[in-house]
Amino acid sequence: MSAGVSGSPGPGGAAGPAASMGPIAPADPALLPQLARLAAGRATGALSGEGGVLYLAGGRVVHAESPAAPGLEILLSAAGRLPAEGWREAVERAGARREVARHLVESGRLGGGELEICHLGALFDAAYFVLAPGGGRARFRPGAAHWLGPVRPVPAETVARESRRRRALLAAVWPHPQVDTAPVVRRTSVRAPAVPRRQRAVLDLADGRRTAVEIARLLGRPAFHTLLDLRRLAAAGHVETPRPRTSGAARAAPAGPAPDPPTPDGPSPAGSAPARPGPPGPAAAPAAPAGLAAPAGLAAPAGPAASGGSGPPEAAEASGAPARPHPAEPPAGLTDPADPDLHLLRRVRDALEAKL
Amino acid sequence: MPGIDACLADAMALPGARGAAVIEWTSGLTLGTVGEPPNGDYEVTAAELAELARLAAEHTAFGSAEPGRADGVPAEGPPGGTSGGPPGGGFPGAPPGAPPGGSVAYGSGGPGGPVPVEDLLLTTRTGYHLLRFVEDTLDGAVVVYLWLDRENGNLALARLRLRDLVAGLALI
Repeated sequence: MSAGVSGSPGPGGAAGPAASMGPIAPADPALLPQLARLAAGRATGALSGEGGVLYLAGGRVVHAESPAAPGLEILLSAAGRLPAEGWREAVERAGARREVARHLVESGRLGGGELEICHLGALFDAAYFVLAPGGGRARFRPGAAHWLGPVRPVPAETVARESRRRRALLAAVWPHPQVDTAPVVRRTSVRAPAVPRRQRAVLDLADGRRTAVEIARLLGRPAFHTLLDLRRLAAAGHVETPRPRTSGAARAAPAGPAPDPPTPDGPSPAGSAPARPGPPGPAAAPAAPAGLAAPAGLAAPAGPAASGGSGPPEAAEASGAPARPHPAEPPAGLTDPADPDLHLLRRVRDALEAKL
Repeated sequence: MPGIDACLADAMALPGARGAAVIEWTSGLTLGTVGEPPNGDYEVTAAELAELARLAAEHTAFGSAEPGRADGVPAEGPPGGTSGGPPGGGFPGAPPGAPPGGSVAYGSGGPGGPVPVEDLLLTTRTGYHLLRFVEDTLDGAVVVYLWLDRENGNLALARLRLRDLVAGLALI
């Protein structure tokens, strides 16, 4: 098997293992230094965090799984390339000796290149969630190996860098991470641009209850692709961008009646952190620009997490909602416009501002 | 049977070949690279190619001329393009209620249908750049990129060879 993504000759040896992961920012998961150490030590085993598991062999990543990511089996069967029966048979025949992937190719069920492509897609998809910020402590089980077997191992540094790149990409498209975890609510707007094909499939499954991760699973697409599609849809105004989550979060009705609020609903994510589509509720439009500072303040800012993590940091402590989307979790990111705490705080803020 | 690396190596055997890559354009992920990137940095190149692929794949201009119907049945595919997508998009869990009215134009092929574009060819003063969509894998989310220098490269040959190489990825 080749040494994964080529281009750079291995992680920076001289600078030391941690440095090869790139500078470790405060928002980075605790998993990263551990991953760096394991990679430097050419470890083999399973590194588990809250977001899922990374499987290492000889210090390189050979597989990844996450509850948020649909996984290789779903990707293959949704594409119509491998019937469920074929997968099952491969697992039965080759699972015990941990060579299911090789068996799929050798038994003529899948092309080698296509397996590599799909497996890498699934690997990076799951790894994104495993390496999400706020992942908490991780556990390493030396020697543990997955029954799929190695396909095309990837350097750990590459996986870390790619996860970071993905977070930055999400933030660049639409810096509102609550879109990742909230139930997806459609918006009709006559001014919104046409919906591109792939995003149309995502939009069609938005029923006000399903989250991004659930939609990805139904479509048989990698979860990250759907996160990205939703950010684009939100930026274009086709889906609601809920408020950043507050501690009083409760399931609320989709944001109010006004169909075309004055806030920009064209695709202009740059610098529009305060502006979001969807009317603010009883605090109403005049207070909107200043009003948005308050929710950000009391919500223990989504700011640092706007690098695209799957939820604001304080979500980790509130009601057990993890820092990555989970299908069974109560909806995050929607606040009741009539929330009394919010209303009180707004009144306090208004009173303070009146004194300035 | 051949994997990503074999495909890239074969692509580099073409006259004038300077660099090649396999890229998942839906996420911007680079799956494999060989040779030199045209602008000195494969990560930047991959991001730009992903944008190019995305615009081509999603742009309605390159697909069906008519918008999709409101009931979710895709319009007829483009002539000579990929075979029509499955009716109604065909993906599992298709919702019972499609959005009312045709107020939003579909891209071609309907939601979840195949990518209507086969390849992109871009010519500069110094090179040829080819981008071929890998059909039937990950729902058309992957492209293979190849660039040749203008002096030694033969665009027609490269296009056909790339087509065959990409098809070979799925060969059993």
